[in-house]
Amino acid sequence: MMAGKRAARGICVGRRGRERQQCGLNIKPAPLTDTKSNPHPLHYLRVGGGNDFQWCFSQVKGAIDEDVAEADIISTVEFNYSGELLATGDKGGRVVIFQREQESKNRLLSRGEYNVYSTFQSHEPEFDYLKSLEIEEKINKIRWLPQQNAAHFLLSANDKTIKLWKISERDKRAEGYNLKDEDGRLRDPFRITTLRVPVLMPMDLMVEASPRRIFANAHTYHINSISVNSDYETYISADDLRINLWHLEITDRSFNIVDIKPANMEELTEVITAAECHPHQCNVFVYSSSKGTIRLCDMRAAALCDRHSKFFEEPEDPSSRSFFSEIISSISDVKFSHSGRYMMTRDYLSVKVWDLNMENRPVETYQVHEYLRSKLCSLYENDCIFDKFECCWNGSDSAIMTGSYNNFFRMFDRNTRRDITLEASRENSKPRAMLKPRKVCTGGKRKKDEISVDSLDFNKKILHTAWHPKENVIAVAATNNLYIFQDKIN
Amino acid sequence: MVAKGQKRKLRREDEGGGSARESQLQSVLDISMDKFHRDQALVEPCLLRSVLINNTLRQVQSEVRAQVESLSAAKIPAKLKPEPDFTQLSPPAEHHAPLSSPNAENTEDDFMAWTSEEDFSLSSAISAILKDLDAVIDAGQGPCASQRAPLSSVENLTPCPLRTERTSDMASSIKTELMCPGCPQDVALDKLLLDIDPSVFEPELNLLQGFSVTADDLVKYLPSLSKSPSASSSSSLVSRGQATWEIQEIEHVMDILMRTYPQS
Repeated sequence: MMAGKRAARGICVGRRGRERQQCGLNIKPAPLTDTKSNPHPLHYLRVGGGNDFQWCFSQVKGAIDEDVAEADIISTVEFNYSGELLATGDKGGRVVIFQREQESKNRLLSRGEYNVYSTFQSHEPEFDYLKSLEIEEKINKIRWLPQQNAAHFLLSANDKTIKLWKISERDKRAEGYNLKDEDGRLRDPFRITTLRVPVLMPMDLMVEASPRRIFANAHTYHINSISVNSDYETYISADDLRINLWHLEITDRSFNIVDIKPANMEELTEVITAAECHPHQCNVFVYSSSKGTIRLCDMRAAALCDRHSKFFEEPEDPSSRSFFSEIISSISDVKFSHSGRYMMTRDYLSVKVWDLNMENRPVETYQVHEYLRSKLCSLYENDCIFDKFECCWNGSDSAIMTGSYNNFFRMFDRNTRRDITLEASRENSKPRAMLKPRKVCTGGKRKKDEISVDSLDFNKKILHTAWHPKENVIAVAATNNLYIFQDKIN
Repeated sequence: MVAKGQKRKLRREDEGGGSARESQLQSVLDISMDKFHRDQALVEPCLLRSVLINNTLRQVQSEVRAQVESLSAAKIPAKLKPEPDFTQLSPPAEHHAPLSSPNAENTEDDFMAWTSEEDFSLSSAISAILKDLDAVIDAGQGPCASQRAPLSSVENLTPCPLRTERTSDMASSIKTELMCPGCPQDVALDKLLLDIDPSVFEPELNLLQGFSVTADDLVKYLPSLSKSPSASSSSSLVSRGQATWEIQEIEHVMDILMRTYPQS
């Protein structure tokens, strides 16, 4: 199954094959006017991020019950490349895709709403008989492929298996078959005296999801990331100790490109936590570790990318060293900016923006919930310190967003350096209701409308958020509910 | 897990900077050991979590070892003198269950010898196991509740019912231990190492009821402290001969413990 672990990589000539020979290791930023690599014209969008405008409630999906079924807990959220489709995966192995309805000409005050487009069971629970282990059906990641024809494709991954799903519409069906009746009964061939050509008749729209590829048996450990390469032909999947490179058409083989498993497992002190392909350079990818480091690798350098090309690590501040320093430095998510010039990492207390050309420290650091630093021991005890928060960029890379506790999520505007804390709750769920900024009181007198640190609900955590690639529409997953917010249109 | 609107608890006084560090050390050790054992019970623990907990444990153990080494260096000329204090951590005025001193001192000798070995992982693992035993033995007294107070982060925790008992007793016994003349620091530090604290043990309570650790369990735990759970056999850490020797030592320790605190 895992052939070619150390085999030389074939020259993978995709549509962008030639690009691999051209680019040096200096990561060139893609200018916004370069429509080849940045197809959406961002220059006409308002560049505002966090609080240049007001965020308003748009929709909420999911059950209202206090009792949350474990299977309904959302485990991943992802917009597709155009933003028309929004996919969620849950712990029960289901994928729900929402589609934005066409903006009505009459209703100028709101953008199109997202309605359910397709629901399907992506992964089922499995049992590994060799190890006597149950394999969870929880969807860890969904990644869309760029649309190339009428159908939509996405990759969904649980702990062990990745599947390529095709979502296609059917709104016509053929009528007037020769060999069977309208109700499906076979006609006796000897009774047929005339031939007719079947005619396509319209029918109610049906959205079908079918698994086109199943990429299995390549991961010993739990898959934490998948990322589609910019050549649109390959993708990488990462587990705790290894990263594999797949071709979308080939399911029985994958190349292992990173392997950090030590010969003696007792010496294991670091694992891979996330990985992503560069948005424009199909030979470059990064992976983050549990020790707060990021390694950038160039696949042209060697078949096995154990030796990094760049190593990003911020030196530790000795004054803030504690027993939990390592745990809170563990990176839970890494995302390239759309431009490809920066990448963002999320650790337990902060979000950091790195310039790919500077390895020794991030260019920007944003504190998400610094007030938790004094509570680390409790958070270690109740396991919250192991929560893996994700982060995301807006379409123009001017703002970033990440989640926190108490159903709070935070947005940071990189230009104005302002930040805002908002809450995803049913109380603020009137249509087009403006979201009020929230504030956590860290000590001293608590003002009205502030919430004290001790009153935060650590069961309500926002781990997964997504930002529309072109507009100011965001999707926030709060346990089993999906909130959609958008900016106010004047 | 934390519930919204949890009532805040009365904060306890900080008992001093040094003991705050030690109490945090002890808390982290306790919590880490608890998580480690829970994960061991799982068929397939999360590798990231295991690695992070193991690294934290290593950090704590190396700090404990550093403290022990600095302590040993200071105590070598007067090695015999402080030992009786280890076994009688309370002042004479307090009644406590009789501890068979010679056996305990033998344990202490063995333990001190262990801590000076090059391969500290076993000794610190043993100290961790003994600490764990103590945590169970002292479950009714809840040493962690008062000692975690300096972190001022107890408010959000769901209180363990056992731990809220006898905190006042524990506080007074801690104070009396620390007032033990001649070696308060030794006592505090060694409390981390040798968990047998008869001053808080009351014979009428059968705290060991339901708690049983066999030598096999200890051996199973010890090697896997320094390796990830996904490794298979326990014999990879030590050679067979050494393992046999260590099993015998552990059984010896276990015998002492079981004799000292007999189950009802």
